[in-house]
Amino acid sequence: MEVINFIVDNILTQAPITIGLIALLGLVLQRKSVGQTISGTFKTILGFMVLSAGSAVIVQALTFFGAIFTKGYGMQGLVPSIEAINGQAMNELGLGSEIALTLGAIFIVNIIIARFTKWKYIFLTGQALLWMSTICAVFGYYCGLRGAALIVVGGVVGGIFAVAMPAIAQPFVRKITGNDDIALGHFCTVGYVLTALVSKLFGGKSKSTEELNLPKGLEFLQDTYLSIGVVMIPLFIITAFFAGPEFCAKYAGNTNYIVYAFLQAIQFVVGVYVLLAGVRLLLAELVPAFRGIAMKIVPDAVPALDCPVLFPYAPNAVIIGFVSTTIGSVIGMFLFPMFGLPMILPGMMTNFFAGGCAGIFGNAAGGTRGAIISGIIHGLFITLLPALLSPMLADIGFINATCTDVDTIVCGLFYGWLLKPLLGLF
Amino acid sequence: MKILMVCGNGLGSSFACQMTVEGVLKELGVKADLDHCDLSSARSMKADLILSGKNFESQFKNLAIETPQIFLDRLVDKNEIREKLTPFLKEKGLI
Repeated sequence: MEVINFIVDNILTQAPITIGLIALLGLVLQRKSVGQTISGTFKTILGFMVLSAGSAVIVQALTFFGAIFTKGYGMQGLVPSIEAINGQAMNELGLGSEIALTLGAIFIVNIIIARFTKWKYIFLTGQALLWMSTICAVFGYYCGLRGAALIVVGGVVGGIFAVAMPAIAQPFVRKITGNDDIALGHFCTVGYVLTALVSKLFGGKSKSTEELNLPKGLEFLQDTYLSIGVVMIPLFIITAFFAGPEFCAKYAGNTNYIVYAFLQAIQFVVGVYVLLAGVRLLLAELVPAFRGIAMKIVPDAVPALDCPVLFPYAPNAVIIGFVSTTIGSVIGMFLFPMFGLPMILPGMMTNFFAGGCAGIFGNAAGGTRGAIISGIIHGLFITLLPALLSPMLADIGFINATCTDVDTIVCGLFYGWLLKPLLGLF
Repeated sequence: MKILMVCGNGLGSSFACQMTVEGVLKELGVKADLDHCDLSSARSMKADLILSGKNFESQFKNLAIETPQIFLDRLVDKNEIREKLTPFLKEKGLI
């Protein structure tokens, strides 16, 4: 009994060790050499702990931002950052092990569905799966699920999303890439499909975006850290200005409050940088292991890959989708609080990656005019959904942040609106 | 030899590209050290060759990285990668 207690208390509830064991299992199943197995396991654990360190930095910067925002504008503003949600779930809520095991369960369910149904999609965008397992674990916990039940339900729900999302996107992806070799594995797919349908309605047969000559000035936003900085720095500085020097002094001490806000904005970017560096280390062994095993079990598998894989097919559409989504998200930021929803600040990283990909879908369905109109609708949509989810997130105890990727939000709403009342019946 | 795959985030598409490159190199019988990262970090990483998407070409010009670069239309297309990689590998005397 003591041995079991020791295992539960010190191994299975210690998230870095849990995820290390999952990696170890993957490496052993692939029959890697002893050296590769040791280094792979070590790097996975290292990645997980780097990720936690980054999250602590994000939380610190967000706490400051939340305080000055409330003081400056007299209302709450939420930063859409799935990274911050993931970090807080692991550190503050202590759900790290649940998230790691749910991730493993999603892998397994994905392979089972692909093996036995006609949907042969294997979801290979590791970070998206990590965000999905985060939401499944967090909301499973919120619904009152614990232990094995939480992980099994999360694995089934997440696994279904991992196959269903590439499947609903495939008709459009086929049109974009011209074949069925790859699928789209990015949990913003509900937004893309909506964009394509709206574009079809409004675009008619307008000219393709790729026949236009666009300025190249916005391309620098493809650099994640630059694009976050471009928004966060002015946002922090202007907000600090409204909050005033006396209020900021509580945090800034003797440093000038504007300078302090500037540095805190960069500190936020630092947090994202460190967190994503951790994710990269964490996934470096897990994803190839998953891919190797999946390809053996499902020989005719179609890999579902991250959205920038589609970017080279329509670079102009990416820029148009980004700009129109940003316009939509700014309108949404001011519009939705009028209906009593919290204010969601534009998340530039999502606007670029999801907005850009939405532009490609919009263009494929309805040309330039379609891409512009549907992009604005997409921007409104990806602002509305986080606003709807945020009261539940606040209930659970998340600070100043809300989710981004809309599929993960749909998953959260599914848990909160359907599963929770259902479980409440018993 | 070290080959670096680069994308905006350094997580998804560069990683997918890396796994495809790994397959191509295996077929060609070339051993190389592969890694992936984001655009900001690419400048400070040591590599003999950088692979990235066409949409990043102008940005690499701005960064003025001296490492040879290959830009791809399709990040996970084995044929395109093989075609574009072969001249470089021949030049290095690896195949």
